[in-house]
Amino acid sequence: MALAATFLGSARSRLLPASIPFRFFAAAVVFHVAAWLVLLAGGADVPGFAGGLGLPLAALHLVTLGVLVMTAIGASLQLLPVATRQSAGSPRAMSLLWWCYTPGVALLTLAMAIGHRWLLAAGAVAVVVSLAGYALLLGRNLLGAKGMATVVAHGWLALACLVVVMASGFSLAAAYHGHALFDRASAIGLHVAFAPYGFMGLLMLGFSYILVPMFALAESPAQQPARVSVAMAGLALALAAPAAFGVRPALLWPLAIVAAMVALAVHVTLMRRALRSGMRRRLGRPIVLVHVGWAGLFASLLAALALVREAGIARLATLLGVLLVGALLSFLLGMLSRIVPFLASMHAAPGRRGPPLPSTLAAGSPLAIHFWCHLAALALLLAAVAADSAWLARAAGAVGATGALAFAWFFALVCRRMRPAPLPST
Amino acid sequence: MTVDASPLRWQDGQGEHIDVRGLAPPQPLVAVLRLVHELGDSGTAVVVHHDRDPALLYPELAELGWAAERIDGEPGEVRLLLKRSS
Repeated sequence: MALAATFLGSARSRLLPASIPFRFFAAAVVFHVAAWLVLLAGGADVPGFAGGLGLPLAALHLVTLGVLVMTAIGASLQLLPVATRQSAGSPRAMSLLWWCYTPGVALLTLAMAIGHRWLLAAGAVAVVVSLAGYALLLGRNLLGAKGMATVVAHGWLALACLVVVMASGFSLAAAYHGHALFDRASAIGLHVAFAPYGFMGLLMLGFSYILVPMFALAESPAQQPARVSVAMAGLALALAAPAAFGVRPALLWPLAIVAAMVALAVHVTLMRRALRSGMRRRLGRPIVLVHVGWAGLFASLLAALALVREAGIARLATLLGVLLVGALLSFLLGMLSRIVPFLASMHAAPGRRGPPLPSTLAAGSPLAIHFWCHLAALALLLAAVAADSAWLARAAGAVGATGALAFAWFFALVCRRMRPAPLPST
Repeated sequence: MTVDASPLRWQDGQGEHIDVRGLAPPQPLVAVLRLVHELGDSGTAVVVHHDRDPALLYPELAELGWAAERIDGEPGEVRLLLKRSS
């Protein structure tokens, strides 16, 4: 174990300081708790939510910006350089990014919650500036990438989506001051297509080509179908953009959704093959959450198809939102509960018996509580929207907050176990 | 339906060699761990020829009770000697 300890020392020099990825994860953990608590407080307005300032919008963005994007930034800053064989980049720039983005998200979601227009503008500026900084870091890395063509293609598409997300998000915030870049319907159409499906979805799909085989210890998925998947995703977004601006929406929206379904179906088929063929079969609850994420994404696309075909289902847009955000959150929390102990082991200070193992850093009980609470909260939230029930929405908020606190407990335990045990005094 | 990921393997007095240079992540990790699983408790050491420091490999090796030591290699090569921990 002494050899391993020595060697981990040199490995550690290649990694970003632990404080960089872990500060993004820590902020995501806090925003996760806040999101469910805000949902609990705004339960009465959740089932009929159709946009506009208020607690549901704040809860939504606490999840999307505060948890999903925050985690994606932290994970990609650490993992993308490993995949593309690039230097990790400047920790100072990443630290500055965190210091701009985290208060920006807090300010923006607070303004959404209380309906304050000027705070909304300040928060939107901070978030857009931060995301522009992240886009530069991401673009620099992708420009110098060596190999991993599929992952890099997903990265470039995600980056293009991020530009659209920043423009549409800024336009929606600026509309409250009479300075919208696009009309509201177009901005919302672009934002919904390019933020969760485009930016987050493509990052999620791209990183899965590394993470899923790594977790399962499986061969990499075949390149040709992976290229088909990313091409179909690109096609879906290319069709969605004019549709959002009112160009043949009755034709282009369904085509975009079908293309997205094909992209997802090919991707999930590849991932499931990797899971079945891997050396490590027992991946536990995290991989169940990943499967929930894939299923939820399919369901959200079906809901989107019903919506654009005007199926006449009550509160369908809200249902779509819950399915989509719930799917992304499930996937991400499943991945995060695998990544955090792994990264912590690489960063941990070795004790007298060498560095701690990932399995000893993972905390079973809090993750089990989180798993069941998360699934129950999502089910309650879907039922709340379907039944138009404020009480069910509040129950979802309470159960979700309990699960989020359990996840925070897991994260805190991992961080504490990263520290070396004190030496005995004798 | 998988990419051709076939690292070179050979044996000498030092142990079982595996050359994973040029493979895309996570294939070097998977190939090395597959070999370590194959060897099990046979006592055979593994020499890994890599083109970069495989940061993600070390926690996995530690989980399996193996330790890694960097040894001299060719210029631009990261060469590791893996042994079962005592």
